[in-house]
Amino acid sequence: MNAQNKPELRELSYAEAIREAMDIALEDDPSVLLMGEDIGVYGGAFQVTGDLVDKYGTDRVLDTPISELGGAGVAVGAALTGLKPIFEFQFSDFAALAMEQIVNQAAKVRFMLGGSVSVPLVMRFPAGSGTGAAAQHSQSIEAWLGHVPGLKVVQPSTPEDAKGLLLAAVADPDPVMIFEHKILYKMKGHVPEGYYTTPIGKAAVRRAGKDVTIVATSIMVHKAMETAEKLSADGIDAEVIDLRTVRPMDRDTVLDSVRKTGRLVCVYEGVKTLGVGAEISAMVAESDAFDFLDAPIVRLGGAECPIPYNPELEKAVVPQVPDISAAVRDVVQGRV
Amino acid sequence: MPVEVIMPKVDMDMASGKIMCWHVAVGDTVEKGDPLFDIETDKAAMEVEAPASGILQHAAPEGSEIPIGKAIAWLYAEGEEVGEQPDSFASVDDNKMPEQQPKAATEPAFGDTNLPPEPAPERETALAGDAGEGVRATPAARRLARDGGVTLAELRGTGPRGRVQASDVRQYLKDLDTVSARATFLPETGALNVTYSKRGEGTPIVMIHGFANDATSWAPLEPSLRHRPLIRIELPGHGKSPRLRIRDFAMLVREVRQTFDALQLDQAHLLGHSLGAALCIALADTREPRLASLNLIAPAGLGPQINGEALNGICKATRAESLGPWLRHLVADEDRITDGYVRLAMQARGDANLRAAQFAMADVLFPDGVQAFDLRAALQRIETPTRILWGKADAIIPWEHALQAPGRVALHLFDRIGHMPQLEAAEEVGKILRSHV
Repeated sequence: MNAQNKPELRELSYAEAIREAMDIALEDDPSVLLMGEDIGVYGGAFQVTGDLVDKYGTDRVLDTPISELGGAGVAVGAALTGLKPIFEFQFSDFAALAMEQIVNQAAKVRFMLGGSVSVPLVMRFPAGSGTGAAAQHSQSIEAWLGHVPGLKVVQPSTPEDAKGLLLAAVADPDPVMIFEHKILYKMKGHVPEGYYTTPIGKAAVRRAGKDVTIVATSIMVHKAMETAEKLSADGIDAEVIDLRTVRPMDRDTVLDSVRKTGRLVCVYEGVKTLGVGAEISAMVAESDAFDFLDAPIVRLGGAECPIPYNPELEKAVVPQVPDISAAVRDVVQGRV
Repeated sequence: MPVEVIMPKVDMDMASGKIMCWHVAVGDTVEKGDPLFDIETDKAAMEVEAPASGILQHAAPEGSEIPIGKAIAWLYAEGEEVGEQPDSFASVDDNKMPEQQPKAATEPAFGDTNLPPEPAPERETALAGDAGEGVRATPAARRLARDGGVTLAELRGTGPRGRVQASDVRQYLKDLDTVSARATFLPETGALNVTYSKRGEGTPIVMIHGFANDATSWAPLEPSLRHRPLIRIELPGHGKSPRLRIRDFAMLVREVRQTFDALQLDQAHLLGHSLGAALCIALADTREPRLASLNLIAPAGLGPQINGEALNGICKATRAESLGPWLRHLVADEDRITDGYVRLAMQARGDANLRAAQFAMADVLFPDGVQAFDLRAALQRIETPTRILWGKADAIIPWEHALQAPGRVALHLFDRIGHMPQLEAAEEVGKILRSHV
């Protein structure tokens, strides 16, 4: 295909892309069903499921009672009996209510029964801050679940990946946790038509550069890209990696990049301490890429506090473009 | 406060060293830089200089094997009160590596006793393998320095708190290339460096190493020669000798002759390799009455040909990768030159001024890859018993030059041996020399 007659790329929002993925999955496979609180007639807390209930009916788009633990338990049980539920939480924070089912059941059953069963379960978690929803509705808890063997944890940052990773998750025989950033739901981007999957466990190099590697997750990918463009005007050539999957982590892409640039900045919205960036940093420090580091590794993560309600403070507790910019400059220009 | 003398780390794999002999008796005064003791590792024997001036006390017994970094003696200042003799020295069990052997409370190591009080933590930081310890540097800078054969201590770091960055190493290597290419260096003055092993008896052997080498190159041969006192002269711009600007071969001969005269020997055997052997011939031409024998390994000066490309390559190399291929020209069996050997050789050549001095010297002595001096006539004149030892696979100087020697000179020609028979055929060469010196 040459550039002249390239058809105009179809754009969808991140939320529409997810809805399209669920539509395709429901259409293709009668064992797929959607579960969650207010996902039917109401269309979901963030209107992601929309009118799918009209197309597939209440047997396949199932409103669950206001009990995350109960709903998750039904979803795990359904998965064990051969269905492929896609379970939506209203807010990722409510995973805390369902931890028993996620951590002790979904993640463990395959191992404890010697591989004789699997749990083809997908859970969708609207995550992150920026909506003024305060401490109990704004967290980024992907590292909690990323710590559990038996779970796969992904964080799509674009509409295209939101659809591709959801379809990959449905096809996966094991539980896959998808953290969708609430602020990204309205973001538009190119989304291919029809069925495709984005590989779980594979990061994407969003911008090639030679001076510093920025590994970012979720919405921070966009902040990192904005930073990289700003810094390029000053002659700093940053490589931006969208991690996409927290577990299993794409070691090769990150290490190759660090071997090339010799500098690493990790940017993520979850609380900095014991977060995703700690794992990325340790992975590099433990590898042969260590010998290529020409500056200390720097992490930018969420502040060590609950997300505040005050909109200014809410912005202040997660990394913003000026923070990333300053950190990258310091690393590249040898100030740390 | 007394200065602690420690067992130095002289090669990279070394875990412990054996004290062969002390050059100074307990209670005697030694000057900083004087030969203090000889050590033997599983690979080499080496002389170690005094780290400071002072009076030698509490020396570990000769023959004892001591882990690196452990105290083997103390040097006291004049008039300083001498502490008590320690109970014992840290020793190495024959079957155990020292790191597997935690210091048992029942066996007090020398450093654990409270006497002498607070041994000074002074260490020979310049010793090979130690270089870079305690230097602030990024992992990338360390990797580049390692690959380039540069010791971090030579570098000035431009990073935070003086940290050496990769860019500092790159710049340094680039500067070195420029320096090597122009062969500009800061000429020094002073007497040539001489080291001794005084254990043997009788007529001493004076040894002169080859171009781009140093006194340590005799180590493989020395076990065969230790029945005699050994005296090693280091050429200008080599080893620890001053980086003199050598204008011609005659000046080089003068420098060596002055050094030889200062030794005030009645009789000496001369042993030289390559350029060092040429200097032995030149020395014999004027100092013949004092010579007992002349022993020449792959001598220069007996014909015009020399592998200028290899000399040039060795002089210019600033990193192990570029030095290795040229070092392999020196031997017939390339496997003898391991990567570790090359790294150590590059470490010994880490000083840019040394490389530049040698580059300049090569330009004077071997312009355009030709030996600019001819000692065939001198060799004809000499009557001292002389033997030439040469490898027939020598890729630096053609062994056929040996055929220029007059009939009374004994020739020992080795098949499948390169330019360094003293390394490649150490035992055989040692045997031949030992039966004559």
